[in-house]
Amino acid sequence: MSEPLLDVDGLCTNYGKISILRDVTLSVGEGEVVALLGLNGAGKTTTLRSILGLTAARAGKIRYDGNDITAWPAYKIARLGVGYVPEGRRMFKDLSTLENLQLAENGRGGEWTIPRVLEHLPKLAELRSRKAGRLSGGEQEMLAIGRALVSNPRLLLIDEPSQGLAPLIVEDVYRILGELKQTGVAILLVEQNALLALKIADRAYVLDSGRVVHAGLAAELAADRDRIRTLMGLEVAAR
Amino acid sequence: MIHDLAPQIFNGLVLGAFYAIVGIGLSLIMNLTGTINMAHGSFMTLAGYLAFTMVSRGTSFWFALIAAPLIAVVVGIVVERTLVRPLYKREPFYSLLMTFGLSLMAEEIYRLIWGANAVPFSPPPGLASAVSLGFMSFPKFRIFIVIVLVIAMIGLALFLTRTRFGLRLRAAVQDTEMIAALGTNTQLLYAVNFGLGIFLAGIAGVLAAGMLGLSPTSGNALLMPAFVTVIIGGMGSLFGSIVGGLLIGMAISLTTLWIPAASEVSMYVLMALVLMVRPRGLFGEEGIFG
Repeated sequence: MSEPLLDVDGLCTNYGKISILRDVTLSVGEGEVVALLGLNGAGKTTTLRSILGLTAARAGKIRYDGNDITAWPAYKIARLGVGYVPEGRRMFKDLSTLENLQLAENGRGGEWTIPRVLEHLPKLAELRSRKAGRLSGGEQEMLAIGRALVSNPRLLLIDEPSQGLAPLIVEDVYRILGELKQTGVAILLVEQNALLALKIADRAYVLDSGRVVHAGLAAELAADRDRIRTLMGLEVAAR
Repeated sequence: MIHDLAPQIFNGLVLGAFYAIVGIGLSLIMNLTGTINMAHGSFMTLAGYLAFTMVSRGTSFWFALIAAPLIAVVVGIVVERTLVRPLYKREPFYSLLMTFGLSLMAEEIYRLIWGANAVPFSPPPGLASAVSLGFMSFPKFRIFIVIVLVIAMIGLALFLTRTRFGLRLRAAVQDTEMIAALGTNTQLLYAVNFGLGIFLAGIAGVLAAGMLGLSPTSGNALLMPAFVTVIIGGMGSLFGSIVGGLLIGMAISLTTLWIPAASEVSMYVLMALVLMVRPRGLFGEEGIFG
């Protein structure tokens, strides 16, 4: 088998002296959707941040598309086609919807132009001149996804896309993620709502206290509620 | 009365334009990186002296007006890359102290090169005369100063709102990390932004040299009013800096007319009044230290 698109091997990350990630190993293949599950504070967000170079890795290796990107600055990693949809959306609140999209244009070229993104996410087209800070949570999530798309990513790192959204809007967001999957973009999806993420994921990892405690096919994990319960705690499986 | 008042109001406008442009430069640098650039006045002085040297060797004033600020920008970017950059991750206090030390060093260096006394730097002959407006006459050079500074401000506004780079700068002020995650080299952004601030200071420096005189400390004399400008206008607001600059320009100018001894104090009184009513300044969105 050829090398996966993203290959994280033995990743350790600290915040100051506190160890957050301990020997995290995972991979994402071309066009594959991989769920990264776990409770609050398990290290999911830190994993994404380390991959993107926003938080420096203390040990381990991160390879993407044949490059060792472990110590690369974030902007270089982004330019290789790694899109980021962060937790809490992180819009540029004082800029318009359109300007938020323009910021992600990086000259990489590809099928995702701003007009095409707006065509795909018609809600954003209506709101193109509105300040991002005045969009609703769901609209901001769409914009965050649209913004990541404009950079024509081969790999999307998506952090808690359902957080703080009404169930109907969450459905909408996941429908769009499903459509993205069809276009062949690889996704590493961090989600607290395990059952939701497992619906669209091919494979899943479960993190606990900075360690990978489970790795396997998403469908198998989804079918095994007891397993989810032991891995992630009762309340998650009860949803 | 009008014969006293009108020129003084116009002088206030000219002074205000200086404060505004220097304040805008300070704001640009402060907003993006949190650096309080105490050496800002030194870069003004540097551009002034460079222009003085160029003109006294036969270069045209017009060339010097652009070239001297550009050389100051090169020096500024070198300073930013080597001295300021390592301090970005620390509290603002560190870069404040460093740039303050730098301004003291610069002052001594200027003294060594150009002497301790003020040097004569006069406006080009074409601008040396005065225009009569009927009720008052006013030096052409001061009118020219206002025009150049207004053009510089409009140019900056267009750069920030109409170019891709300007858009990235505005975004980076809000969230530096996210802009990096979208593929922008933030270190390059910092350097260009610093250079932009120095360019504005440099232009003001050359013009101020022709109007207010040129000595090793002349730029620093404009630094305090420029800080007050930023505080009155509100941190983070470039428009606020323009309003703040004009307000204290007027305040200083008019108190000079009526209570000359209090002219220096007037801007601080104005600042205190503004802060009592609006702790974040007139157009500020964040607290001064927030």
